[in-house]
Amino acid sequence: MNKALLIALVFLMSLPTFAQKKSKEHLKKEASVKEYIWSEKKDFSAITIPADLEDQSAITLFREVKYIYNRPHNSIEYTKIEHEQVKLLDQVAVNDFSEFKFQKTAHIQGLLNTFILGVKIIKPDGEEIQIDVDNEAIKEEDENKLAIPNLEKGDILDYYFYSNIIVSENDLYQFDAVEDIVGEHYPILDFKFSLETEKDFFVSLNTYNNAPELETYAALSKENKTRLYGFKMQNVASNDFPRWFYPLVALPAYKFQVLFARTRKHEKRANAFMPTDVNTIKKDINKEEIFNLYEDKFSPYGNLGDVERFLKGKDFLNDEHKVTEAFYFIRHKYFTNYVEAFVLDESDIMYPYGYYKNPIIFNSDAQFIKFFAAFLKDNKIDYEILIGTKRYNGLIKDLLLEDNVDFVLKILTENPLYIEHFNQFSTVNQISSLLENSKAYALKVVDRKHIEDIQLTSLPASNHNINNTTESIAITLEEDFSGMQINRMSATTGHNKVDAQKDRLNFYDYIYKDHKKYGTEPVLDQVKKEKDRLRYKKEYKSLLDKQKEKQLKELEKQTESEYDLEIEDYTFNVLNNGRFGVEDPLEFEEAFTLKEELIRKAGNNYILLIGKLIGGQADIDEEHKQRDNNVYMNYPRSYSNNISLTIPEGYSVQGLEKLNKNVQNQTGGFTSEAVVTDNVLTIKTNKYYQNYFEPAANWPDMVSFLEEAYLFYEGKILLKKN
Amino acid sequence: MDPTPEDVSKAKELRSIYDEEDIVLLESDNLVTFAIEDNKVAVNNYTTEHLMNINYRSDIQKPIFYDGESKIEKFQFYYRNKKEARILSKDVSYTDNDLFHNDARVKFANVDFPTQGYTYFFESIKHTKDIKYFTSIYFTSEYPSLSRKIVIEIPEWLHIELFEKNFENFDIQKTEEQVGDKKIITYQVSNLDAYYDEKSSPGPSYIYPHVLLLAKDFTYKGEKQILFNETKDLYTWYRSLTKDINTDSELLTQKVTELTAGATSDEEKIKNIYYWVQDNIRYIAFEDGIAGFKPETAENVLKKRYGDCKGMANLAKEMLVIAGFDARLTWIGTKRIAYNYSTPSLAVDNHMICTLLQDGKKIFLDPTEKFNAFGEYAERIQGKQSMIEDNDSFLLEEVPTSTSSRNKESFLFNATITNEEIEGLASRAYEGESRADFLYNFNNLKSNKKQEALKNYLASYNRNVLISDIETSNLENREAKIDVNYALKHSNAVSSFDNEMYIDLDFYKEFDNYTFEERQTNYNFAYKKDVLTEMRLKIPETYTVSTLPESFSVDTDNFKISVSLEKESDYIVYKKEFEIKKATITTADFEAWNAAITKLNAIYNEQIILTKS
Repeated sequence: MNKALLIALVFLMSLPTFAQKKSKEHLKKEASVKEYIWSEKKDFSAITIPADLEDQSAITLFREVKYIYNRPHNSIEYTKIEHEQVKLLDQVAVNDFSEFKFQKTAHIQGLLNTFILGVKIIKPDGEEIQIDVDNEAIKEEDENKLAIPNLEKGDILDYYFYSNIIVSENDLYQFDAVEDIVGEHYPILDFKFSLETEKDFFVSLNTYNNAPELETYAALSKENKTRLYGFKMQNVASNDFPRWFYPLVALPAYKFQVLFARTRKHEKRANAFMPTDVNTIKKDINKEEIFNLYEDKFSPYGNLGDVERFLKGKDFLNDEHKVTEAFYFIRHKYFTNYVEAFVLDESDIMYPYGYYKNPIIFNSDAQFIKFFAAFLKDNKIDYEILIGTKRYNGLIKDLLLEDNVDFVLKILTENPLYIEHFNQFSTVNQISSLLENSKAYALKVVDRKHIEDIQLTSLPASNHNINNTTESIAITLEEDFSGMQINRMSATTGHNKVDAQKDRLNFYDYIYKDHKKYGTEPVLDQVKKEKDRLRYKKEYKSLLDKQKEKQLKELEKQTESEYDLEIEDYTFNVLNNGRFGVEDPLEFEEAFTLKEELIRKAGNNYILLIGKLIGGQADIDEEHKQRDNNVYMNYPRSYSNNISLTIPEGYSVQGLEKLNKNVQNQTGGFTSEAVVTDNVLTIKTNKYYQNYFEPAANWPDMVSFLEEAYLFYEGKILLKKN
Repeated sequence: MDPTPEDVSKAKELRSIYDEEDIVLLESDNLVTFAIEDNKVAVNNYTTEHLMNINYRSDIQKPIFYDGESKIEKFQFYYRNKKEARILSKDVSYTDNDLFHNDARVKFANVDFPTQGYTYFFESIKHTKDIKYFTSIYFTSEYPSLSRKIVIEIPEWLHIELFEKNFENFDIQKTEEQVGDKKIITYQVSNLDAYYDEKSSPGPSYIYPHVLLLAKDFTYKGEKQILFNETKDLYTWYRSLTKDINTDSELLTQKVTELTAGATSDEEKIKNIYYWVQDNIRYIAFEDGIAGFKPETAENVLKKRYGDCKGMANLAKEMLVIAGFDARLTWIGTKRIAYNYSTPSLAVDNHMICTLLQDGKKIFLDPTEKFNAFGEYAERIQGKQSMIEDNDSFLLEEVPTSTSSRNKESFLFNATITNEEIEGLASRAYEGESRADFLYNFNNLKSNKKQEALKNYLASYNRNVLISDIETSNLENREAKIDVNYALKHSNAVSSFDNEMYIDLDFYKEFDNYTFEERQTNYNFAYKKDVLTEMRLKIPETYTVSTLPESFSVDTDNFKISVSLEKESDYIVYKKEFEIKKATITTADFEAWNAAITKLNAIYNEQIILTKS
């Protein structure tokens, strides 16, 4: 079931087979955990299920999530307890909760990880049946499985997952940050969250999106070595997690980070936002704290020899031009230059790294930023480092977890340039769509070296014209109307291009262009011994041939799925990789045939389901035309089509009026225009999403243009015999 | 080691023949020998293969499966020059999605063939501790084999019969020779295809050539020991596992009393028990050593509310016995298995049900079949021979077969055209297995999602079809015909151009494009089908029918497809029937089937035309 999986995922690692026999200590722990969680007997008969929830599949009567951080015998101990009481109202719920999979207690990377599952069933008459998990569970190689016995509709399943890790003594130990929403697929009547720590643990913790304020159940003091914080919430609605939705922004949630540090000095080494005083729970962070954490982290660093040689003797229009060219050079020199080597290594053809004198490969964004800062400093170009957070995490002012931070380099040329990622496709001014259009902090760099100030700023936004996909489709009908030949030219720019490049390009489509452009030598050409070189090249060619064959099949499948139609005689050809700028398009052409699926015989005439050629459209069914949740999208975008069809001789077209559509509003639009000129039918369509975000109140506007696009998709024309 | 130029050209040639394959077995040999260990007959299966990469490059996983009754004693690759290749192997438990827990394991290695024509030799030894679990050996494997040889060395002390299955369509050479005290049987065949990767195929025992090993007896230290010499011996072993599992149980008696308390007839008592087990015992499969053959006790299954087929059959049996009926455990091979009990082997069956003997009749109960009505049988056991316990003896009985008309499914629609929409009242009805199928799916939906899901299902997930005002018969009754009545509105079915209306009446379009072009095996349906459609469309006033697609009908031994469109006074009457008479379309039917589907597609793609008078 889902829940079990979630728990397991947190610690998902491969485990060595671990002694099956449980230690005395483990048994003692099991007993004490059970006592801790189930000591209080609850009167379930006192709970009445609200009338509006009676048709649910199941209701969570009670859910508690508790984290405990403490220090037994100088160790550091982490405990997580999830405890739920679920009333199963139909057979589906019984099936959903009838099988549990859970981690085995084991040593993982040298740490003892203890997992305990407790299950009992409360029958409608109040009878409690405790499941003997130890005896009933099946111990498999890497997990335990439990089929819950005696479970029936109407029962309450009361279960807990207890997980515990003991970390040996450390000066500093940073636990994984936690962020979660309160709600689930089933409604919850009663929810409780708590975090318990002993002293020496630094804690940042807060609640968001109308979750209740944190309460202090117990604070640290001289007498009190343990503190307890948390909140309670009643009647948490279920959520279906619809399309275009950011749960951590929309639903009650909590986030926290815990750190063990022996002293304040140790704490400073942590990569997290932490309170200065161990007794305080940190609920938010201010500019200064961000400044303090990052002030030293991006000092310019790197050997600029390669870049200098590249720049030498070249004329640039301005600094923007220079920075841009230098970036693409660096992208190649320290990344795509090595892609062939990665491939050769991974496919066991040869060990390539010995052929490089001193390979420098950037594999973290931070490494790149330091290097690029060094380049900027050397060239006396000012810059800032922007600290942002992806929009699905919430607003930057609510930032609490270092994990949620992303960096963007802003270069202060006349028109500022933004650089974020460092990978084979990253281009200047293309930052993550999820960071765009949000607030960020700017770390002000003085003398191009020292970070001296921090200010609130905005990250740029893109628009639907830039994030565009345009498909030009030329249709040629078979003479006997048994099918059609399609030639399609696609061009994508902006964020639409990002996924398209991943889907449509393989490394060999661009790395050799880079080698040529920058005059570098692929590693295979550096192999001196001819016999070896020939053999490696032969094996490498086999690998590429196989990959190209596979790629073509995958591309064909992808195009098939766009149309939801079977296609044949597929060919594909890349025209432009689109790797040198946001507006540098990825362009490719495809040709294929479609059998009669889009052609309907109508007496002597033919109906052509021409709308289907714009590809599948968002289909909002009746149930989803109502929406209470706000709409969170990754970026504004547009999809354009230019379809042309030469009308077969002896036929004329009818029904064009239904293909002319125009619905445009504040949220976006769909427009289409169909005209016949010189016996050629031309249809132009454009669908666009105007914004990143729409309040739920604007949903009907969105539905109206999405519906119009769907109607077009179902549109037909009649080819009438003259 | 680079391939030789001969290997490269051979690989190219093979690729032109096997154009979808990466690897071909140039040679694939098995040698099966027997030995006595721990007073049992153990089996050693030596595999030698010569694998060639015929594609540009291949990266494969080479697996050998085993379980608690067997072990892998050798697993080794060699280069072209026979030097050992150091390829790491892994040994992990093998989880099957259909089984909650099993003891299957797999030893495997990731092997790369860097260029076309690259070859490896592979050798393995699999040791099976007890011959009863070594039931068969197949010629076909996951790769095509150019030369395939199976050698079986039978020692004098072992009495074994080899049962050759599906040899008809293959040119398998068999030789026998006596070498010392061993009889050596060699089978050899060339150019064998790989396993077919096709859905809804019959079980492998129907398709691929194989040899069943029927071990009859063996003589050890002068003493003859019977294995499965005849069906009785198989039964005796099964019986030994089931004879004493149940003990008196107050809990069982209590439950039976509760279930039969209000019943006024024997039949009602039986149904109360049978349906209760169907509804309340969750099917969870275990296959772990002897648990794969021995049922869990009835009391335990009752307490746990879950079990596998054996546990559920045994519970039903025990409860019926307590209620005073004559009920017996029954072994059966489902439709997936090609054999019957004339071959005494563990390969014969894979399922357990319960048989009720009443008034000289035998009624089969399969509690794993959710929503199965008493006295009706699921397709997967129909016509299959079953082995019913009868103290120290046993009864063989075939499960009766039924006809497609018992599973009738119908759709009626009385429609008019309003504003380019087709609307009217519709109804659907389900009987037999179509009913069980419907009920199973419906009752597996979350309560608060049921209505929406039903609407979507009735609309055939077509967003242009709007369903409302649904009324149904009791959707928990597994015995009566199910009726679903509702209002249906179909938009985008009518296109008006000038004076003409073009109508695409049928939005279900069952079997649309359902041709079998490259398929090599029979296509099995879940059950015999008889699906009827009748739509009556009122012709709008001032319109006349100018074009109706041409009717057609095909009726063969295995299937019937008929579609008719007629004008009957003010109505267009569209009738359609699909009958899959034996739940299968055989490869021999494919030509006729494909021709019928092509005609069907033509009708689906043709519009009804009404012209304004």
